[in-house]
Amino acid sequence: MPTSLSGPASRPQTRRRGSLRGSPQLRLRFGFVVIAMVLSLFGARLVQLQGVDPEAYAAMAAAEGTTTIDLPAERGDILDRNGRPIADSVDGEMVVANPEMTRAQAPELAKFLSSRLDIDYFTTLKALRQKDRQFAYIARRVPASKAEDVVAAAKAAGYDGLDTRHDPVRDYPAGDVAANLVGFLGIDEPLAGFEATFDKQLAGKDGLERYAVGNGNRIPLGRATLEPAVNGQDLHTTIDLDLQWYVQRVLRQTREDARADSAFAVVMDTRTGEVLALGDDPTFDARNPQAAPKRDRVSRAMTDVYEPGSVEKVLTLSALIDAGKATMRTRVTVPPSLPSGDRVIHDWFGHGTLHMTLAGVIAQSSNIGTVLASRNFETGQLREYLTEFGLGQRTNVGVAGETQGILPDPSIWTSMTQDRIAFGQSLSVNALQMAAAVNTIANGGVRVSPSLVQGSATTNDGTVVGTDTTTEQRVVSKRAAHQMALMMERVVDPDVGVAPAAQIPGYRVAGKTGTAQRVGPRCGCYNGTFTVSFAGFAPADKPRFTVYVVVQNPRNGGGGGSVGGPAFAKIMSYALRRYGVPPTGTAPSHVPTTWRPGQVASPNG
Amino acid sequence: MSSPAFQIRSGRLRATAPGSIPGRVTDALQRARLTVVPRARTRTSPVPFVMLVSFVLLAGVIGLLMFNTSMQQASFTTTSMERQASTLEARKQTLQMELDQLRDPQRVAREAQGMGMVIPATPAFLRLSDGKVLGTPTPATRENPLRLLPQAPKKPAVLDPPPNVVTVVGQAIEPPTGAGDARQQQQHGKNDHHERHTHGND
Repeated sequence: MPTSLSGPASRPQTRRRGSLRGSPQLRLRFGFVVIAMVLSLFGARLVQLQGVDPEAYAAMAAAEGTTTIDLPAERGDILDRNGRPIADSVDGEMVVANPEMTRAQAPELAKFLSSRLDIDYFTTLKALRQKDRQFAYIARRVPASKAEDVVAAAKAAGYDGLDTRHDPVRDYPAGDVAANLVGFLGIDEPLAGFEATFDKQLAGKDGLERYAVGNGNRIPLGRATLEPAVNGQDLHTTIDLDLQWYVQRVLRQTREDARADSAFAVVMDTRTGEVLALGDDPTFDARNPQAAPKRDRVSRAMTDVYEPGSVEKVLTLSALIDAGKATMRTRVTVPPSLPSGDRVIHDWFGHGTLHMTLAGVIAQSSNIGTVLASRNFETGQLREYLTEFGLGQRTNVGVAGETQGILPDPSIWTSMTQDRIAFGQSLSVNALQMAAAVNTIANGGVRVSPSLVQGSATTNDGTVVGTDTTTEQRVVSKRAAHQMALMMERVVDPDVGVAPAAQIPGYRVAGKTGTAQRVGPRCGCYNGTFTVSFAGFAPADKPRFTVYVVVQNPRNGGGGGSVGGPAFAKIMSYALRRYGVPPTGTAPSHVPTTWRPGQVASPNG
Repeated sequence: MSSPAFQIRSGRLRATAPGSIPGRVTDALQRARLTVVPRARTRTSPVPFVMLVSFVLLAGVIGLLMFNTSMQQASFTTTSMERQASTLEARKQTLQMELDQLRDPQRVAREAQGMGMVIPATPAFLRLSDGKVLGTPTPATRENPLRLLPQAPKKPAVLDPPPNVVTVVGQAIEPPTGAGDARQQQQHGKNDHHERHTHGND
């Protein structure tokens, strides 16, 4: 009111200013127009945001200021029985470069990187010099701390354009030791061995974390989601890394000295069935698998199918004793040759008519003696026994590609077949099957199923394997097993046996040689080459380990006793010493191996 | 009209002023009815209240700010500590890897063999309780050692010529001095070596 009263007094001034601003009506209208224009812009934007694809905009809004990081699951280790890693996951990174930024200083940077990261200078130089590229791999699978150090050092030295990305490293610290079992990892996927078989268990599950960031730091109380990574589970094997190494070196030396194609061996704990070593030669370096031919990247002990030869006599004759058809003192008159159907069976050594006990048949590895004795079996009895020994069935220890072996079907099981099977022809096995079968004798007649995994583990196809699933089954009586052990002791006797080289001084060793003809892959017939082997256990009266050595196609003319025997003795000595198994100190077996016609038979025992 | 109150009051009035004129009573009554007890208003200064409010406000704002700052600080610390933890973890794993590579049985064996150690051939034990030796103790020798490396591939004859052995005939004229003897022996040793070498190639 007071202003309106004083209004007329200041009018001339207001008028002057008013004339510059225009009339109030005009100003009001102009203001409304501006407001309407702004509001219509808002309206249009609203329609655009809410009417046209609102989800995409919402997602864009959420992504703004939000970081998503992958939480990679750590791959489980593969450990030996003492917890030492055979395969080991290490946090790793790849070093990558932006060639646009590195091209100018490429030679100096390549020199720097090749010396720091142990990579090839020329490959690096080429990568750093690429044109029209913004990304180049420099080194992959570098331990994280090393990669970061190198990139930081490069930055400090004035080289730009390097970066690191997550790239886990799989390390095989022991190189070729147990590589045949453990297998290896390709660039992105497991390619062989346990790495492939137990991939589901080892791999784990990657996680994801999403959160709001500001200025490179996480905003506290901001929106965040977290799916934690589930790390892979470790795989505990029953392998003893040091023993496995020794076995592999002995096998290599044996194979090289015999100029053989390949060699493999199994060391088994007699009582638990745990496989302490399963060696192959030639094998490969798991750190550089591509350097070895593909045929060497498998476990021959599990995949090679071959005829066991005379080692099989152990199974035949212990079954015969169990069936009550013979004892170790049973007298056999061995003729120079024996007709079997349309063929004639010979022994590996020429001889006249021999008078052998069953122990002598084993000690001298007489085919004819074995066949004569085994003709006492009832129909189908031998096959039943061999099935119980585990032949013709996979051991299912978790090695992919394991061969089943061949045990002829009853429909084609003739008396001629049985004659040949009795001394180890016409049937095929894998090394672990055969080791487990011989171990049955060592374990007092009870077959304990072999295992390569401690506890239990699930293969990718859902089979549970491991020591938790070990089964025990009596195959032959304790008496039969004991008699067989006494007979096998005579094999390594320098006077009456064929494999004195397998003897370990001071110990009682039971063993059996095997020399079998090999079936060639092309013709499906015997091709003149041999599989020589030696299976045995020690100490014979209280067995602790069963060792089985197989050498394929030795070219030095050696047999099971001269090629397999020394390898067996070395491996067994090492195992006995390593596990502190002293000799039992009992008197060795003196079961007679021969008899004189006219001599009165001694009571069985 | 609230008559009981009126009567009480009139009673009191009557008691206090006996024998007064009715007109004055009415007057007094009138006055008594109109009287509103004045509230005793003390005019206090608004300053303390304003101070309090602004203090609370200020404290709140500052507190919130400090809380936020400390949260941010904690967030920075968390981020940097997490980074440090993952760096240390990576370093630990790298060191573990190096350790495992050092424990590689092949490496250990080569080192040991380089130091002249050999793997014993026959296990034997000494029982501490009665001092009895179990097994057959055999001295470990360097004969027939375990080969740790694969044999070198056999070279074709062109690349592996037989060693050129030159037999030096001793000159009898020279007086046999100690130095000459030594040289001759050395030469002899060399020859032996060559012979063994050729034998190995057969």
